[in-house]
Amino acid sequence: MKRPMPDLAPELFRPALFDEAAAELTGYAHYSYWRSTMRTFLKSPVSIFLLALIVVLVTASFIYPLVSPTDPNRVDLDTATWNMEPGSGHAFGTDGLGRDLWARAWYGTRTSMLLGLIIAILDVGIGMIAGALWGYVKRLDRVMTEIYNVLNNIPQTVFLILLTYIMRPGFWTIVVALCTTGWIGIARFVRNKVLMIRDAEYNIASRCLGTPLHRMILKNVLPYLVSILIMEAALTIPYSIGSEVFLGFIGLGLPLDTVSLGNLVNLGKNNFMLYPYQLTWPTLLLAAITISFYIVGNRFADASDPRNHV
Amino acid sequence: MSDDTILSVRGLGVEFPMGRKRFTAVDGVSFDLRRGETFSLVGESGSGKTTIGRAIMRIHPISKGEILFEGKRVSGRIDASAERLLRQRIQMIFQDPMASLNERAKIDYIVSEGLYNFRLFKDEAERRAKVEKALRDVGLIPEFASRFPHEFSGGQRQRIGIARALVMEPELLIADEPISALDVSIRSQVINLMNRLKRDRGLTYLFIAHDLSVVRFISDRIAVIYRGRLVELAGAEELFAHPLHPYTRALLSAVPLPDPEVERLKKHVAYDPSIHDYSQGKPSWSEVSSGHFVLGNECEIRGWKA
Repeated sequence: MKRPMPDLAPELFRPALFDEAAAELTGYAHYSYWRSTMRTFLKSPVSIFLLALIVVLVTASFIYPLVSPTDPNRVDLDTATWNMEPGSGHAFGTDGLGRDLWARAWYGTRTSMLLGLIIAILDVGIGMIAGALWGYVKRLDRVMTEIYNVLNNIPQTVFLILLTYIMRPGFWTIVVALCTTGWIGIARFVRNKVLMIRDAEYNIASRCLGTPLHRMILKNVLPYLVSILIMEAALTIPYSIGSEVFLGFIGLGLPLDTVSLGNLVNLGKNNFMLYPYQLTWPTLLLAAITISFYIVGNRFADASDPRNHV
Repeated sequence: MSDDTILSVRGLGVEFPMGRKRFTAVDGVSFDLRRGETFSLVGESGSGKTTIGRAIMRIHPISKGEILFEGKRVSGRIDASAERLLRQRIQMIFQDPMASLNERAKIDYIVSEGLYNFRLFKDEAERRAKVEKALRDVGLIPEFASRFPHEFSGGQRQRIGIARALVMEPELLIADEPISALDVSIRSQVINLMNRLKRDRGLTYLFIAHDLSVVRFISDRIAVIYRGRLVELAGAEELFAHPLHPYTRALLSAVPLPDPEVERLKKHVAYDPSIHDYSQGKPSWSEVSSGHFVLGNECEIRGWKA
């Protein structure tokens, strides 16, 4: 069936011009990976709150020792100032030797944060490079898998205890102890990711162009891993802080004259029955730090997945 | 081997490890590419046509035979200068434009990747100029250099892939199903571009495809591959006019015809390898008429010649 054409004068029509250059512009879409990641991340008020909490805790713990005149190690010989309840001039009270717990809490947070940060940077740095090579160079796979099996099958606690006995207890001993086993887990994670993207067609294209291995890893592999690595770092920090507390708790942590959350918890537990606040304050701080890092890390991992960018 | 042979593949075999056993993907394939022609490899999925292309690019190690580029061996162990020659003068275009561009790199880097690898520019200005020219050559706007691949359509992305290969100024382009992943509406865009580039620059194409209607349109010669072995090789029109091998006939019968009346009457042929009786006389690669080669035993060849 044919519909009759209405009577329309031809001068009403004007031929549409086709501009080839303008047609090329139509494929354009504004999308920035990092901007979308941040937008998705900041959508949740919980993430904003916890991120703010982390920022406040970190800045406060680094600024407090610079501005406060209180010495966290000053022992008072006057027994009246020992084991004072919170309030009464000392916000968190004092411990069994009259030391101000408020000051010690901030100094301790600073030590623990620093420890967690250094371990996270080392773990992620070593793990990233080792994992990229492990996944990319086929010949390394056997060797690295064996190293992984060995390191992963030594019980963590036994290994930590052994190392702190061999080396003098101290800040760097704990860094070494946690890093020797920590990097391999991240390396394996990175390796699995690399295996997934190694045989993608754009990597074959790069090989056809003769791209050397180091540039392949730098340009073709690592950019895909950045968000994962940030998340791994965010999760390593609370893990390291927790490990330090655990070592302090069993008496193998930092020397007692170093103020750290581990030492605070260790001393606090001795007096817990009589003066519970000496344990609860450092533990609450520890919980606040670790939980916010864990949740922020996981939220960021979700936000960094492009599938969640609506 | 005549003077105008640019690439020569001799008895090529490629095997992949499959647990303890080895899987033979390509077995005894030989052909010559003449300078300036479009040579197509057609066959079904898994027949080994992509593997041949990648073996030439040294992505897959070869187990048998050799590959010569302008008379120089470019397969097996070769020195750095031969590798350099190969990487600059043979380039590849890929099947899936969505997968073949690095999503986290700007077009500027993607196109100049090969230039960086071989330091093919004196200074930053020359590199920019080369990238700009490569983008213009494939009909894209130079401003696109600062954008990311996801901002482009499939046809544009495929042209970016072609620009990446062109910037090396290759003589031979291996096109691995360059249009199979594209919409029908933009296939002609890419095919016409490839034809224009061939004309302007005297390129030689090794065109790998399964779509015979497209292959007929662009090829000078066609080789049909079945389970890793060539079964027939002839000029494009000759192959379509006189297909001899039963597999080629089956393949040609699968080409859709635009006339529904004819299409309805068409009989589809399925290829069954058991129709060959190779108990007497192994099949061999024989020339039936000038430039028309078929794989068959003496008895079959006699029948085809008649």
